[in-house]
Parts: sequence; C-alpha cells; structure tokens
Amino acid sequence: MVEHDSSDGSVNRRKYLKALTVGAAAGLAGCTGGGGSETEATEGGSGSGGSGDDTETGGSSSGSTWDSQLEVLHGWAGGDGEAAVTALIEAFEEEHPEMDTNFQAVGASANVNLNATILRRLANNNPMSSFANWPGKNLERYSGALMDLEADVWDAEGFKDTMQARAVELCKFNDKMPAVPLGSHRMNNLFYNTAVFEEAGIDASSLDSVDALLDALEAIDQNTDVTPMAQAMVAPWTNLQLWAQILTSQSGVDAYTNFIEGNPDRAAVVEALEALKTINENYITADASSISFTTAGQKVISGNAATIHQGNWVYGMFRADDSFNYKEQWDWIPFPGTEGIYFYHVDSIVAPSNNPSREETIAWQKFVGTKKAQIAFNNPKGSVPLRTDIDPSELTDFLAMTYEDLTDSEAYPPTIAHGLAVTPKTMGACKTAFGDNFMGPFKVEATADALIEAVSE
Amino acid sequence: MATHDNTEHVADATDEAVGWESKLRYFLNSDFVRSAPYWGIPFVLMSIAVYGGIGYNFAISFTDYEGLGTPDYSALDLEMYAQALSSDAFVSAAQNNLVLLVAFTTVCLILGLFLAILLDHGIRFSEKFQTVYLLPMSLSFVVTAQLWLWMFNVESGILNLVVTTLGFNPVDWLGNPSIALGAVIFALIWQFSGYTMVVYLAGLQSIPNDQFEAARVDGASITRTYLRIIVPQLKEASVSAAVVLMVFALKAFTFLYALVGRYRPPNGTDILATLMVRRAFKFGEWAYSAAIATMLLVMALGVIGPYLYYQYKQGSL
Repeated sequence: MVEHDSSDGSVNRRKYLKALTVGAAAGLAGCTGGGGSETEATEGGSGSGGSGDDTETGGSSSGSTWDSQLEVLHGWAGGDGEAAVTALIEAFEEEHPEMDTNFQAVGASANVNLNATILRRLANNNPMSSFANWPGKNLERYSGALMDLEADVWDAEGFKDTMQARAVELCKFNDKMPAVPLGSHRMNNLFYNTAVFEEAGIDASSLDSVDALLDALEAIDQNTDVTPMAQAMVAPWTNLQLWAQILTSQSGVDAYTNFIEGNPDRAAVVEALEALKTINENYITADASSISFTTAGQKVISGNAATIHQGNWVYGMFRADDSFNYKEQWDWIPFPGTEGIYFYHVDSIVAPSNNPSREETIAWQKFVGTKKAQIAFNNPKGSVPLRTDIDPSELTDFLAMTYEDLTDSEAYPPTIAHGLAVTPKTMGACKTAFGDNFMGPFKVEATADALIEAVSE
Repeated sequence: MATHDNTEHVADATDEAVGWESKLRYFLNSDFVRSAPYWGIPFVLMSIAVYGGIGYNFAISFTDYEGLGTPDYSALDLEMYAQALSSDAFVSAAQNNLVLLVAFTTVCLILGLFLAILLDHGIRFSEKFQTVYLLPMSLSFVVTAQLWLWMFNVESGILNLVVTTLGFNPVDWLGNPSIALGAVIFALIWQFSGYTMVVYLAGLQSIPNDQFEAARVDGASITRTYLRIIVPQLKEASVSAAVVLMVFALKAFTFLYALVGRYRPPNGTDILATLMVRRAFKFGEWAYSAAIATMLLVMALGVIGPYLYYQYKQGSL
C-alpha cells in the first residue's frame, strides 16, 4: 500500500517536474525570443526615426508616419485630473491620429507611485517617451537622464516668446530644457462656503491678515455648528503649504524667499507655526488626520466645513458638482494677507534622454505647448495655461480671473510643497519636519528646528 | 600462478581503461547527472532570481549608489550601515518593527489558540464560525486596510461610534502617534488570528479523544487538562504559526502602504520596510536602502534560522 502510494507519487512528481522543465524551457525561449524582437523593434525604430524626421522637414504633419510608440506616464488617475488628461489625449489624437500612443495613469495619491515608477525605470535604463512631473528644482531627481528639448521644441515652436518667462526659467535645468509646462495652479487660495460665511456674519473681503482669518474662524466656531476649516492631514504636505502661506502673509514674500534660499528667520518661522497650531488645534475637523484633501474638499461642498486652503485643484473638484457653483454656493479670496501675490505651481511634461521614440516625443512635447492643448487640459483641471496669448474667454470664469492674476501680480513665489522652490531632498526633509512633529500634538519648537535644518543643509 | 598474474594484470588494465571513458559513461549515467535537467534549471533560475538579487543588494549596500547612474564599486565601506544605525528614523522604525513583531505574534497565538479550543469543543455551527474567523485572512491587505481606514475615522468610524456610545471621548486612532501603532497591530491581529486558529485546530483535532477521556477519568479539571496535556502537544503548530506570523510582521509594508496610499505611514507606525521603500523610491538612495534591506534580511533570518535548526534537530530537514 505504502509502496504503491509512493511509486504513484513519484510518477506524478516526475510528470510534474517534466512539465515544469518544459514550461521553464518554453519560458526561457519566450524570454529570449521576446528580447530579440524587442531589439529588432528598437533598431527598426531608430532606423526609421530618420525617415520620420524626413517627413517632418517635408512640412506636412498630417501625412507623417510614426514608427515608435509614444509612451507617456502621468499621475492623473481619477476625478478632475483624469477628465483633464482625457481631454488632452483626445485633442492630441485628433492632431496625430496615426501615432501609436500609450498613455498610462500610474496611481493617484500625490504622484507617489508615478515618481517611484519613473525613478525605477530611469535607473534601469528603460526610459519612457515622456512623463508628467513638476519642473524647477524637482528635476534634480532625474539629474543626468533628461533630454534637451531646447532646439527641437522650444526654439522650433517659439515657446520662449509665448510662455511666461518664469515658466521658461523653471523648465531650464543644467543648461538643458527637458520640460514643457502644461498649466499652473495657484497656491494662495482660501475657498469658502458662502452660506456659512453669511450665517456667521463674515465679510470675506475684510479678511486681509492671518489675525483677521483667526478671528473669522473663531466667529464661525461660535456662531454656527459648522467646523470652521477643513484640513487634510493624512500626509504632511498640506500643513507645509498652509504654513508657507501663513509665513508669507505674516512676514512677507521676502521672509519666504529667504527661507527657501537657505537663510531662514527663526522668529518668523515660529510665528507662522504658532498660528498654524492655533488653527489645527481649534478650528479643523476632528478626522483631519485620516482624510485626504479630496475628502476635506467634500466637507466644504456638503457644508460641514466653512473654508479650505488648497491649491486651486479643488476648483476642479467643486466644478464637477453641479449644485455647487462659483459666486453662488462657494467663493474665493486670495489667502488672507497675500493679495497681489500669485503663489506659483507648475505642472509640466518632461522628456528623458536616451528616448525610445525621439520624433514622437518631440511632436508630443510640441503639442503640449500649444494653445489647444493648454485650454483642453486646464479647463477641467482647474489650473491655468502658461502661455501669455490665451484669450481669457476660452477659460471658465474662475480660471479667467486666475489667469489674469497669473499674468499681472506683484510677486510669484514658487511653491515649496510642490517641487519648484527646493530640491526633492529638502522638500522631503520639510515634509518630514511636519510629519514627525506637527501632526498632533503640535510641537512648534521641534518643527521650527527641523525646518531650519532642512533648508540650511 | 600464471592465471593469477594474468587476472591481476587484467584488473590493472581495467583500472587504467576506466580512466576516462567508462568513468565518464558511469558519471553521465549516474542519477545525479541524469536528473540534472529537472532540478538544475529551477536551481539556476532560483539562484539568479533570489540569491542573485540578495547578492546584488548586498553589494550595493557597500557603495554610495544614489540617484540615476551606475554604482561605483571601487570604494566599498560600511558607511551606509553606520549612517542607518545612527539615524533616529532607523532606530524608531526598528523599535516599531520589534513591538509589532512581539505584540502581533503573541496576541495572535493566544487568541488563535483560544478560538481553536472553543471550536474544538464541537459547538453548534462550528464550521460556519471557522469560516467567519478565517475569512479576513483570505482578503487582500488592500481591502482590509481600506476597511480599517474607514473604521478608524474619528468622526464617522464605527470604532468611535462604540467609544462615544460608552461615554468616552472620541479617539484619534491613526492620528495620535502613541495609539497608531496599537491600532495597526489590532487590525493585523483581526486579519491573522483566524490563520493561527486553523493551524491550532488542525493540531487539536489530531490529538486522540482517549487523552481527554483519560484525563477526565483521572479527575483533571478542564483547565488542567489543556495546560498540562493538550497545549504541550501543540508545540509544533505554535512554532510554525509563530514563524509565519513573524515574517508577516516584518513585511507589514503592504498593509501600511494600502492604509494611507503613500510611503509614509501614519506617525508612530514607521517600520523598516516602509523606511526602506521611502528612501529608495522617493529619494533614490539605493545604497542606504540596500543597507536597511540587508539588516531586515538579517532580522528575518534571525527568526527563520532557529526554526530551521529546530526542524533539523527534530529530523524533519
């Protein structure tokens, strides 16, 4: 019995191993075969890339044939971002219907997955055609692996004249121009629910300083059942950006600029942290620590919170709700005490060097800078185009107003929490400063020390 | 005499002739060589995929590899290890890992044993209860993390609904750094105690009924029966369940990542795995992360090693 069992078992085992070996061999063959065809594909791609170039110089964009696939990675996987990127892709495919494209949304939350995927693929020398990322100091992350688009895109299309000078500067990195800007979010906003402000008897236009804001929050707390402010603290960047607004409001743009340039004024840093502590301890929703900014924005829509500070991507969210309209159910003021300032944020499309589809990438990057692309993308996204020649009537009312501020403000400090102002490492250290010390309990001195160490390094 | 000589000579000749031809034939016909295609290929694939990966990780950890580019193997040192061991973030992550490991494993074992004993008493609907307890184990971390994120919500979570109904103040489960790790461990216990229950139940059901009867005849109380007779026989089950749980505790990364959707878990719950991934994929500090990975591997071996030795001594290996 036992013997029979074991011999039976061994036959099975043998068959199994045989099957496994055959499978493994087939797998190996498949791998090598795949590798072979991949090399062929790239060879063919680069070979006929030349012919693509010929067609391009021939001048007809409609008759050109494309040989490689355009692969673009972005992080807009849901909500307003998805709507915006879909509009952008549709417009692009209208322009180049014959091009084989592959637009991939990688993860959603604050580009965590996207950035990891890009870094991994670039480190493995397996670059994509383009990817969405912030320009400016953020590009430090991909140092040494970026394509220069200056001659082929910027000069060829004259973007240096049609884009905002600030955006042009931010797209320069180590004497190259690897990025084309797509749109700008404004950071110094205060969105509020008009019904709640009315109930609490607050005149939004009178809010001109952080102290006035604190008084208003106190009045909402006293006079209504609504939580004065929605704040998302599942991640530390929301505190970092709100703190930057408070610092600028209390101590001026110079104090902020000195901070990001590595000459922080400790007294100003502490003063801003104290104000943020007051807000976080008294006026935000109790579940702040476990919600994301989208949930926080929903609280303003539903009337459970009166105000929110965020980049104007929440406008993309408000806009999606038909019963929550600008100037009716919600309104906007620049963050109290930052009037005349446009806190600058830029989304861009970046191309890596060693590009797998040079001609296709160039055509795509050229398209990103066009009026058509910038209007198609920015309207649903809640951001504004960086070209200086857009007719504001092409934008929604709120964005048209923001666009006018974009072209006509006194100062444009770059955002710290979104890659423009400081290197990724410093930005990480600033977020950690808040993450470790300011998520409740709120330790002002420890946070100030960590922030100052972060920028002084 | 002559024949004898002759045979000797022949023997010598064969010895010489065996030299390479027959030896090679014998060797090629041996089980070892003939079976080589079957075990050899998987062995090679395993070596490259697993041990090659570990080796490469080990090599990188001695360099200063950072960002994009290639590692420089000319100056190898232990700097990354020193840097890690002297950083507060690493030390607190290691502490959290240890707390997670000990608390999670212990509570899971005790709770699992308790449930298994209850079910082993042949209570009504025991199969259904068994399914209920085991179900969380079959869910992905991504699902359970989202579920717990909702339950931990301060304003609308069910846990605070219970807490406030009992007359206490709402608790900020994930936001308060001194509670967060406990909350995470609680969620993990919920998911894994069903697994320990099944392991123990299998062990209990293999114990013959005679022993319970004999103990009863001898007048032992139920507690005494379990403590003195039954539980000592579950040593094997405990050891294997504990090893699986500990390894899970070391790689609780998935749960924490799914909980917040980013590499930085709630304050006070940072473990080595999250720290490692954050340093590597957010900042491109490959060498530093490789050093953390190596130390994590050593910790895992510290758990597995004694188990393997124990198995070896038992003759199971």
